Amino acid sequence: MTVVLGSSKVVPRRRRRPRSYWALRIGIAVLVFYAAVALISFVWTPYDPLTPGIGDGYDAPSWAFPLGTDRLGSDMLSRLMVGARYDLGIAFVAVLIALTVGTTIGTLAGYFGGKLDTAVMRAVEIFQAFPGLLFAMLVVQAVGAGIVNVILVLSFVGIPDYLRLARAEIHAKRDWQYAEAARLAGNLPWRVAFRYLLPNSVGPLLAFTSINAAFAALVTASLGFLGLGLGPNVPEWGNMIARGQDGVMTGQWWVSFFPGLAILGLTGGLYLLGDALSDITDPRRRGR
Amino acid sequence: MSDVLLEIEDYSGGFRSETGDFLPVLHGVSYRLKTGVMTAVVGESGSGKSLVALSILGIQPPAFERSGGRILFRGTDLLSLDERGMRRIRGAEISMVFQDARAALNPVFTVGRQLADVWQLQHGGGRSAAMKQAIEALRRVSIPEPERRARQYPHEFSGGMAQRAMIAMASLICQPSLLILDEPTTGLDVTIQSDIMELIVELSRTRGLTTCLITHDLGVVAETCDEVVVMNAGRVVEIGSVEAIFTTPRDLYTQRLLSASQLVEAA
Repeated sequence: MTVVLGSSKVVPRRRRRPRSYWALRIGIAVLVFYAAVALISFVWTPYDPLTPGIGDGYDAPSWAFPLGTDRLGSDMLSRLMVGARYDLGIAFVAVLIALTVGTTIGTLAGYFGGKLDTAVMRAVEIFQAFPGLLFAMLVVQAVGAGIVNVILVLSFVGIPDYLRLARAEIHAKRDWQYAEAARLAGNLPWRVAFRYLLPNSVGPLLAFTSINAAFAALVTASLGFLGLGLGPNVPEWGNMIARGQDGVMTGQWWVSFFPGLAILGLTGGLYLLGDALSDITDPRRRGR
Repeated sequence: MSDVLLEIEDYSGGFRSETGDFLPVLHGVSYRLKTGVMTAVVGESGSGKSLVALSILGIQPPAFERSGGRILFRGTDLLSLDERGMRRIRGAEISMVFQDARAALNPVFTVGRQLADVWQLQHGGGRSAAMKQAIEALRRVSIPEPERRARQYPHEFSGGMAQRAMIAMASLICQPSLLILDEPTTGLDVTIQSDIMELIVELSRTRGLTTCLITHDLGVVAETCDEVVVMNAGRVVEIGSVEAIFTTPRDLYTQRLLSASQLVEAA
C-alpha cells in the first residue's frame, strides 16, 4: 500500500538538467533571432538590398554601413537580413516535408514489415549510396535553379534519413509489451503505430530534425555558393560568399565573412537545439 | 453447456525452426473455463500454459504453428476469426494482465491518459468523462491519491502500483467477461503479491468475472482459486477442484509439484 517513489529518477535529472537547459535556451534564442531578422526584413531593411551603388563598392564596415558594402556597393546588412528569409525558409519547408513523408513511410515499414519494408529499405540503401550534396547538385543542374526546385531536392535528400530513423525506432518497439497491450485493448494497427509507438520516438526524431535543418541550410548555401541555387543576384548567403571571394584576396574580408558567420550561427544554434531536445523530450527527464 | 465460457479442445501445435524442422510443444491441450469461476493454470516454465493463453487472444509468437484443435468462446472458434473479428473480442470480451506491468504501460503518456484512451476506445464518450472513469478505476484498485497518480508517468509508479493500474485497465476499464492474468504477481515482493491477489479475487467476486490465473505459485492458487488445471510438457495432466488437487492429487507430476512447493513454504 505504501507509495514507493524511486529515488533513482531524481539523481540523473538533477545532473542532466542544467546542461540541457542552457543548450536549449541558446538554441531557441539563436533560432528566434534569425526568424525575427527574417520577418523584420519584410518590413524594414537599412537600405534596399538589391540596389547597387549605395556605397562606393567595398566600403569597410562603418556607422553608415555596419557590415560594409559589396563590390557593387550594395549594403551588406540589408542583404544579410533578406538572406535569412531564403536560408531559413528553405531549410524549414524542406525539413517539414522530409519529416512528414519520411516518418510516415518509415513508421509503416517498421510496423508492418514484410515485403513493403524490404522494398522500401532496399530503395533507400541504393539512394543513399549517392552523397546528398552531389545528388542535390545534379538534380538542380538538370531541372534548373529556383526556390521550389531547391526545396524539393532538399526534402527528397532528407527523406531517407527520417525514414530509416522512424523505421528503426518503430521496428524495435513493435514487439514491446506496451504495444502488445495497446493491441489487446482493441486498437487498430495504424493507431498502435502512430498514436502509441511514434510518440515514443519524438525525442530522436526531433533531435534529428534540428540537425537535418542545419544540413539543409548548409546545402542551400553550398548550392548558392556553386551558383546552382537561386540565381546570381538573390541575396542568399551562399551566393553572397561566392560574390565576396575576390575581396578576400585583396583585404575586403567582410563581404564573405558575414554571410559565413550567419551560416555558422544558424547551424550551430540548430545543433545545440537538437542535442537539448533529445534530452528534454525523454519523459524520464521531464520536470514538473 | 451454458456455464462454460471458454473451451479449449485438443489444441496442439509447435514451433517451426528456420531450417523447417517442426518441434511440437502442445499436445492436445483441453480445458474449460466456467462462467464466474476462478481457474488456475499451473505448471513449470515451458509447460505451455502461457502459450495457450496467448493463443486465446491470437497473440501467440509468429513462429508458432497450430496443428489442430479449437478454442471456443461462447460457441465461436476464436482460431477461425480474422483480425477484425479478433479485435472485437480483445479488450471488450477478453482482456489480459501481463507479468511486467511497467513494460505494458507506454512510457510517454500519463497513466490516467492511457486508461482514459482505452475507455474511449471501448465505450466512446468524451475526454473528460473518460478521465473521470480512469481516476475512479484507480481509486477502486486502492491507489492512494488517484487524481494525482493519474497525472504521473509509468516510471513514477512502483511495480505493485503499476500492476494495480494494469488490473484496473483490464478489468474495470475494459469490462470484459473473461480476464486472463499471466503470472500477475511474479515480479513483485511477497507482501505486495498478497495485496494484488486479494484485489484480483475481490474484483472477480464482486463483478462476476470469469478469471484465468496462470501461475507457478501453488500457494496463491490454494488461497484464491476454485478450479485447477495442471500442465506439464505441453499436456494437461490433471483437472480438478482446488480441494481435490491439493488433498488427493492423482497424477504423479501434480504430487511432485505439491511436495516441491510445500518444501519452499516450509523453508
